[in-house]
Amino acid sequence: MKPSRLYLDRVEKIKKTIVSENDKVTTCIAAGATPAAHMGVSLKDFASDLDLNLDISLKYFNEINTIAPIDCLNVQLGGMKINVVLSSLWLSKIKMPGRELPENSLWQVAEKKVMQDEDYDLVIEKGLDALVQKILPQVLDMSEFEELMEYNQKYGQKNAEKVMSNHYPAVNGGVASPPFEVLCGARSMSTFFMDCYKNFDKVKDAIDVMLPKTIENMITSVKQANGTGTWVGGWRGASALVSPKIWDALVWPSLYKMGMACIENGITPTYHLDQNWDRDIERFLELPAKKCVLNTDGMTDLCNARKKLGEHVSFMGDVPAQLLATGKPDQVKDYVNKLLDDIGTKGVFLTPGCDAPANAKFENMVAMYEAAVNYK
Amino acid sequence: MSNIAEMITNLEDENVMTEVKKQLDSGVNPVEIFAACQDGMNGVGKKFQEGEYFVSDLMMSGAIFKDVSDIIAPYIKNSDGDNAGKVVLGTVEGDIHDIGKDLVNAMLSAGNFEVIDVGVDAKPEAFINALKENPDATVLALSCLLTTCYDAVKETVALVETEGLRDKVKIMIGGGPVDQGVVEYTGSDKYGKDAQDAVTVCKELMGL
Repeated sequence: MKPSRLYLDRVEKIKKTIVSENDKVTTCIAAGATPAAHMGVSLKDFASDLDLNLDISLKYFNEINTIAPIDCLNVQLGGMKINVVLSSLWLSKIKMPGRELPENSLWQVAEKKVMQDEDYDLVIEKGLDALVQKILPQVLDMSEFEELMEYNQKYGQKNAEKVMSNHYPAVNGGVASPPFEVLCGARSMSTFFMDCYKNFDKVKDAIDVMLPKTIENMITSVKQANGTGTWVGGWRGASALVSPKIWDALVWPSLYKMGMACIENGITPTYHLDQNWDRDIERFLELPAKKCVLNTDGMTDLCNARKKLGEHVSFMGDVPAQLLATGKPDQVKDYVNKLLDDIGTKGVFLTPGCDAPANAKFENMVAMYEAAVNYK
Repeated sequence: MSNIAEMITNLEDENVMTEVKKQLDSGVNPVEIFAACQDGMNGVGKKFQEGEYFVSDLMMSGAIFKDVSDIIAPYIKNSDGDNAGKVVLGTVEGDIHDIGKDLVNAMLSAGNFEVIDVGVDAKPEAFINALKENPDATVLALSCLLTTCYDAVKETVALVETEGLRDKVKIMIGGGPVDQGVVEYTGSDKYGKDAQDAVTVCKELMGL
């Protein structure tokens, strides 16, 4: 399929934004659950029916796009069955609407220790795959995993063309989870954080064993999807959540090496950073200039980040979920205008923090993009 | 600061347990030992507020405090049980997150509050029942990690009002996506930005 002029222009805009050569702010969307309510679809159907998910998402984006243009998607649409994706990323069980939860509840992680103490030795001796083979079937019905693989083999190309025909390129073609996040999900956050104090060396040994395979899987996955970028997830490894000792030894080395591997393979890493990363934000200067994106959720101070990092990285953020859910359009516009006053428009993808919430008001989503498009 | 307090503040889990057992065995008043543990937790809170400690440190200190409390509890069961006040705590209906709630529970307990924990995915009625069963509870603490559960917070606040309890119960909320806007949206009184702040807010709401 031949991409449209608009699609190609938008691809070019993404590239220019990553290297801070864009003329205007680039609008970007991530709204994994938001379209359902606005389009009158239950979250159960939206999450379980992949064709419906794609069609409804595109309709929703197009409805916004007719009022205020959306230049790109944060992550490629289509074939992302959320419980399969999240369970694979975090080795945690995901409770789903219409199954373990009421049909309009948002999917949620079931915080439970699945990986046992002795499984650290399993990882250290036999590697990441052995851990995944043991834990994943405990948190996910593997037939769902296989069905998703088959679905993507069968419809992946068609879905990619559908997104392209709607003129939306994606900044990221995949999502990768560093070993710290995998262990945190498999052990449960409380248990894993205690592990980091009481069994620090063992956790570090496990991470050191897991990292090369994690990198290999990440690069293979992005190349298979013909993507040009990938998320490198920073969820529970946030600076605000862990002590400097833990962050320096167990979080940052993986983030750095995963980013470097992406860059060496011509892939742009988008560090998806939930929570507050202020304490360590300068560490991103260790990565090559203008090669990566920091995707923050409103809790990291982007004004401070801009001061510390300049145009070394590009920014993707960060209108807070609570503002989109409970605020008024004028408040959203004020937020966007102030953000852009503070950090400028060079190298900036304007997007909801993390992911637009399921109950974001449509008028707030529109206001966010209108403010960005009209910003001078 | 006593040895035990210092050890807790420095997150020396094994040393704390050894020292607490040693002091109990040698006849030190368990109430004094418990007070030292609380001093240690205050030290942790101070370091958190000063930016020296982070959430994982709070969680570690909470785990240590729980372990030592479990050891000391049988010794002080019938002793002087004065506390700073009683709080009903839970994660609102539709939300199954417990980490933040548990951390707030630990920090409030360490701050000498008695905490009635109604669990996660708690219906408004569960909070009301807990408040009625504990008429001396003056603060209701609602945890909410999902923006889609703001309405559950609002409904809980509304039921407190309907049940005629609003005049005697202050309502604080907390969780990742919670801010002043959510306080206004839900009709609650105040929000805590983290588990340590929850202690400060609770004291403020109780006029301590």
